Amino acid sequence: MDFLLQGLLKAIELLTTGDPETFSAVYATLIVSAYSLAATLAMGLPLGFCLGYFDFRFKKQVRVVVDTLLSLPTVFIGLVVYAFFTSRGPLGEWGLLFTLPGIAVGLTILGLPIVIALGATAVESMDRQLRVTLISLGANRRQLFLSTLWEARHGIIAGALTAFGRVMTEVGIAMMVGGNIKWQTRTITTAIALETNKGEFAMGIALGLLLLCISFAVNISVSFLRKRD
Amino acid sequence: MQAPLYTFRNLAHVYRGTSVLSIDRLELSKGGVIGVIGPNGSGKSTFLRIAGFVEKPTVGEVLFNGKAAGPFAPDVRNRVTLLPQEPFLMRRTVQKNIAYGLQIRKADSHLSERVKEALAYVGLNGKDLVQRPSYALSGGEAQRVALAARLILKPEVLLLDEPTANVDAVSAQLIQSAALKAQRDWGATLIIASHDWQWLYEVSDTVLHLFKGRIFGTGRENIVFGPWESAAEKSWCKTLDDGQILRVPPPPAADATAVIEELRVLGSGSPPTGASTICTITGIISRLALEKTSGEVRASALAANLPLTVVLPQAQIRGQSLFPGRRVRLAYDWTRLRWI
Repeated sequence: MDFLLQGLLKAIELLTTGDPETFSAVYATLIVSAYSLAATLAMGLPLGFCLGYFDFRFKKQVRVVVDTLLSLPTVFIGLVVYAFFTSRGPLGEWGLLFTLPGIAVGLTILGLPIVIALGATAVESMDRQLRVTLISLGANRRQLFLSTLWEARHGIIAGALTAFGRVMTEVGIAMMVGGNIKWQTRTITTAIALETNKGEFAMGIALGLLLLCISFAVNISVSFLRKRD
Repeated sequence: MQAPLYTFRNLAHVYRGTSVLSIDRLELSKGGVIGVIGPNGSGKSTFLRIAGFVEKPTVGEVLFNGKAAGPFAPDVRNRVTLLPQEPFLMRRTVQKNIAYGLQIRKADSHLSERVKEALAYVGLNGKDLVQRPSYALSGGEAQRVALAARLILKPEVLLLDEPTANVDAVSAQLIQSAALKAQRDWGATLIIASHDWQWLYEVSDTVLHLFKGRIFGTGRENIVFGPWESAAEKSWCKTLDDGQILRVPPPPAADATAVIEELRVLGSGSPPTGASTICTITGIISRLALEKTSGEVRASALAANLPLTVVLPQAQIRGQSLFPGRRVRLAYDWTRLRWI
């Protein structure tokens, strides 16, 4: 048990002294999470809205595909993105392999089905009278879309939070696409995996504590916004 | 010449393979109150959704003031509004729910005063209510707030789908008077579907009777559902719960629907003439309603559990004392009955 206690004390020291290596991983994590979450929401919200709101041919089949993609293995996404971004791959000339934007692309693929599926569920669960009410009050198509999103906001925020949690704690994609390069593409999770393998528990614990703090901060912010609502 | 407010042409609406509305041609004039009556599933709500431009008919067209219109059309979007049967309020305060329509029109000056004015229209105290979340309202309050959200827009056409179906008596009365006040104050055309046909006949300038998705007769007809049983002398019959027999000609099918158009109230002691083709039954007068346009009285009678309607001159009502609770003999010529 001593090594755990020592690891915890060392972790507190790393955090309080602002250890550059630790905070470099935190910075990389926040950057890739923010990029991928922004892309996920920009694409996932309209797609989730359409999937939940409209009735169209093959809707059930599309829903099954999206639900299946929820359990897509991260190493598989990492492999596919690696294959596309490697110098021999079709997108090799973009130079995204072993970069933070490259990791963000992989994480977007991971988060997209979550936002689509949970967004569609949130919109589907809305009262069917909402549409009639909004149109009869004079809403145009854009106002109908925005007001419906607003009414489904709690479900959509839950979907975004779930995607954020999944993206921020992901290891496989960050490892394969990012290459875990110190000071460059090393994220919190890849750093924890590496330092633990090296027997350096202190940094692992420090990073783990920071990960928890970020999650708490995001959840508390969302709860605060909900209460204000 | 001024175009009618609405023209429905070759309209048909199909829902999951079933035809729910079919209107070859119908014109409705501006102003006044148009009542829509009919049994459950007759297409009233579909008709109102199409007339309210929240739904497009499967085929056919709707002209508004002579111009083709549909959902989101700029010509109608801000002029026609529908209050659906189940009121829906957004997850916002009462103030924000009522102000929504004005805000999306960017007509939000003096918003608080206008919201309070709209609430007063439906008999609610704005001061106490405006900041309350919509989920904290009772059913009657929610329906009145939903109506206030429409009235604040001062629409040219206000469509109400069973506005008093799920509310208490006080709310029902306030909703009815608020709708009629809107018609008086700014000349809104009201199109109202309601089961409260007594009120509807009292306030309507025109009454549309829908049955199985079609405009059907004048609303004075009595519709009797099967099944029918074969009886003697080339006639069929239906036995009511109290043993009385309704005689009809041979139906096209045992479960066909009969329409009795000429139902009469017989005077006490007078035997029916042409007895072989006249069927008489006994019923009890349950309600009386004065028709706004004809000045005649619609009397509802119950024969066992079968509701029947007969329209009578006021003089006959007074002369025979045909008041609610009075037992009467009703007669019709069963050979002149028709099937639908």
